[in-house]
Amino acid sequence: MDFRNIGFILLCLFLVTAGCSNKQSQSLSDQDVALQWAKMSLFITQYTPANSPTFASRGFGYIGLTMYESIVNGYESHNSLAGQLNGLHNLPKPETGKSYDWVLSLNAAQALILKTIYMQTSDENKLKIDSLEIAIYDQFAVKLNDEETAERSIEYGKSIAEAIFEWSKNDGGHRGYLYNFDKNVVHPERPGSWKPPLFAQSFSHLPLHPHWGENRTFLKQNKDMPTPEIIPYDTLPGSPYYQEFYQVYEKDLVLTQKEKEAAIWWGDDPDVTFTPPGHSYYIATLAIEKEMLPLIKCAEAYAKVSLSVADAFINCWKWKYHFFSERPNTFIPKYIDQEWESFWPDPPFPCFPSGHAIQAAAAAVALEDVYGDKFNFVDKAHEGRERDEVRDTDFVIRPFDSFWGAAQETADSRFWGGIHTPQDNIVGLEEGSKIARNVIALNWENNNQK
Amino acid sequence: MKHSPFFLTIFSFFCLGTLLAQTHFTDITEQSGIDHVFNVFEGTFGGGATVFDLNNDGFEDIFITSGIEEDVLYLNNGDGTFKNIYSQSGLTITKGYVTQGAVSADVNKDGLRDLFITTINTTDSSNVIPRAKNLLFLNNGNMTFRDATSEFKLEQYNSFSTGASFGDVNADGYPDLYVGNYFLEFEGTLGVLKDATIVSAHQTAMGYLLINKKGKYFENEYDNYDLAHRGFGFGALFTDFDNDGDQDLLVNHDFGYKAVPNFLYENLYPKKSFRDISEDTAMDLKENAMGSAVGDYDNNGLLDYFVTNIKFNLLMENQGVGKPFIDKAKELGAYNFAISWGANFADFDHDGDLDLYVSNGDLNPNCTPIVNFYFENDNFKFVEKGREKGVNDPGVGRGSVVFDIENDGDLDLLVVNQNPTLTYPTESTTRLFRNDQPNGNWLQVALKGINAESSGIGSRVEIVGWNTKMMREIDGGGSSHLSQNSTIAHFGLGNATIVDSVIVTWVGGKKQILLDQKINQLLTITEAADEKQSYWYVILLAILFILSIGFYRSKKRKSDKIA
Repeated sequence: MDFRNIGFILLCLFLVTAGCSNKQSQSLSDQDVALQWAKMSLFITQYTPANSPTFASRGFGYIGLTMYESIVNGYESHNSLAGQLNGLHNLPKPETGKSYDWVLSLNAAQALILKTIYMQTSDENKLKIDSLEIAIYDQFAVKLNDEETAERSIEYGKSIAEAIFEWSKNDGGHRGYLYNFDKNVVHPERPGSWKPPLFAQSFSHLPLHPHWGENRTFLKQNKDMPTPEIIPYDTLPGSPYYQEFYQVYEKDLVLTQKEKEAAIWWGDDPDVTFTPPGHSYYIATLAIEKEMLPLIKCAEAYAKVSLSVADAFINCWKWKYHFFSERPNTFIPKYIDQEWESFWPDPPFPCFPSGHAIQAAAAAVALEDVYGDKFNFVDKAHEGRERDEVRDTDFVIRPFDSFWGAAQETADSRFWGGIHTPQDNIVGLEEGSKIARNVIALNWENNNQK
Repeated sequence: MKHSPFFLTIFSFFCLGTLLAQTHFTDITEQSGIDHVFNVFEGTFGGGATVFDLNNDGFEDIFITSGIEEDVLYLNNGDGTFKNIYSQSGLTITKGYVTQGAVSADVNKDGLRDLFITTINTTDSSNVIPRAKNLLFLNNGNMTFRDATSEFKLEQYNSFSTGASFGDVNADGYPDLYVGNYFLEFEGTLGVLKDATIVSAHQTAMGYLLINKKGKYFENEYDNYDLAHRGFGFGALFTDFDNDGDQDLLVNHDFGYKAVPNFLYENLYPKKSFRDISEDTAMDLKENAMGSAVGDYDNNGLLDYFVTNIKFNLLMENQGVGKPFIDKAKELGAYNFAISWGANFADFDHDGDLDLYVSNGDLNPNCTPIVNFYFENDNFKFVEKGREKGVNDPGVGRGSVVFDIENDGDLDLLVVNQNPTLTYPTESTTRLFRNDQPNGNWLQVALKGINAESSGIGSRVEIVGWNTKMMREIDGGGSSHLSQNSTIAHFGLGNATIVDSVIVTWVGGKKQILLDQKINQLLTITEAADEKQSYWYVILLAILFILSIGFYRSKKRKSDKIA
């Protein structure tokens, strides 16, 4: 049904047949291995029930970090993030004087981190992970033709994944899918406060992950960022607050087909897609696929994007629950037009700032850092998806000439969907950029080598 | 409907009705001894009632679910008061379950109404994933019940069930059940649950179509009858929308706009099959369908459906077989902003058309009061008069039912309310409203099934007189939210003085007609034995068959000879 699913199956078939029929057959490049694991991560994110954008962002954070750490010691050009991240003081180091196959390390590490972070995924999905690991192993172990080194590399990769998983356990989000909706939290009731959506994406009438903002960020610098400002509540027509919602209302009346297409494209509903963080990881994959820079640069790109997006979600959730602000679907029927309903249904959490905007900006700034401001790509994330009959709109692939263009459209699409006001997006884009700039500012590359 | 030839007559009745309608409903909750509130397990689920005469004394009694608290069984004392006999009733097993809705029918053909109760969990909170079996109780006939859940092979369905309905899909006289499930069934096993199992728990569910096997046990024949849908189910309604004498099925789903929409299935009886006609009939509603009410609001001989929803409800007007339904809620005035659950069509003011009651309530734990609606049918348009009629209860409403408390001929109202989880500005407890509108004449028709279910569940009653025709289906549950109305058909007659004919269509299509019936009475119609005529048909057909075989053979012999 889903093209990524089919693509994956085809790949497995290809790898299995290649592995069985001819041990000599060479198919995957080093970069391909990184790409295959990214695609597998997207698949698991999408096809694990009860997933959420929050949990998914965390998953990518650890998966991206693991990819980078499982190979970084093989490259003098780059530095480990151990000692640079919030509470991650040490990671296992390779034995000096011994040789390693870094692809095999990456392969083992990706398989393990996926299966542990997503321990809740189905056995069938875990088998898929195993199959990919075996297929890649078969190819690269043959090429290496040194069993001892292969074994050592795999063990090293696993030790990195284990250490990162152990570290992940006390960040506040471990097994977060078990408490998506905390029924014991009492939320503020005041004018302008968030109300459960009446036109909702989720069956839950409780807000998602109210404690997510208390989670440990990957960077301490991101934890310490000041709280952004929100326009004060007012119901008076013409007041800045009222105008925020009036703009949403006015826009909805004249929504073009192109805007509708963007609104459904970026919806990235966690029930049926790889979630918004998945979309960012997907765009990173497009860039990596196109440029095919050395493996370490691929891993660096994934790590920068995923850490930025994960921290963006934590901060976003901290602020969402700090302000606990209402959605246009609450304000507009009450003060502007009772029959009004947003084009796209409401997600189950407060409004300000926009999670889509903040994470899209974080990803874009991270990718710009690796691939530059100008970058042509075509987003085909939802290509071939069945037309949205309810909204009478098709899924239309989207060409962009910069990462920021995609981020801007992500933010705008929430406004067009009628679920975010302009300030949610503006602040989201600003704060997401700052978060990514903190990530970029880490000591990634060894300057002597550069 | 405005071009109806009966328009003028109906209109004159209506005028009379409004002139007389000075007093309205009286809240008699306290004085009647009703003391109930539904307590949620979590979130917004639950609260239903079933009306049934448990001891066949001619006064209808009520069972109401209470969620995590003790359910109630109110025996009607016949003087406008009720007595809770739950603790002596043999039903106390329900304390172990988070109950949701209830329906009643004579499951084993002993002339007594039995009780089916849906549940979502056990109350001992030992389940990581909330699920439980539903409960079936057989009526002992001495105001007690016995648990027949395992005897009827219902133990195995570990479900998150919301609304159930009795109907007779195969017209064998043994009432079958449709059970709506919200989250997918989970086969409970001991031991440590894997995270993978827990995260799968909140997926859409198939319903159950439990076929009654001669009053001995139930068997889920969902697949056999070609039902295949999943959804966030709030139950279904058995109803003969196409007037062909069998029970079709209207399925309500929450989150229809995102998950799975509503369904309308045509019963292909006598074939064991339902055909999905949702799209053709435009009944594939993509809404938050919480419940539905059936009634021919414009007396045109076609059943219409009021489907409750979040924000604005739908009134799906039947345009006739083969034509899609049209939502007329806005045009007809039954279009007020609310979160609605139960709904009941009933001629509260005896003017010859169906009024509409709607039970509203917030999504607990969200706790903003939303008053209930009373839509008076005014010349086949609706005017909201909840406040004026004294039934605009602001409690957290869920299921609502109509029945005649004191057998005075008019329909009274019970509304199940939830206990608000957070602070609430008004009281929110179950309410009983006595209908005190001085009004026109009436007729009540109780069915006594012989081949059919004892109360005639699945059958329909029509009356013809004074240039109009009205019809009622006998409710097996589901014509509200998680609840079941009285099974006695009720008609308001205005100032008509005689009913020309009463036509019963027993489930399966058999008709029975009574002429010139008196008004202001409870008419009990016992199912006639299958008419001799039908045997003659069989004999005649058999003779014809034999003859034709003989003819064919002789012809064949001839042709053989020629060959």
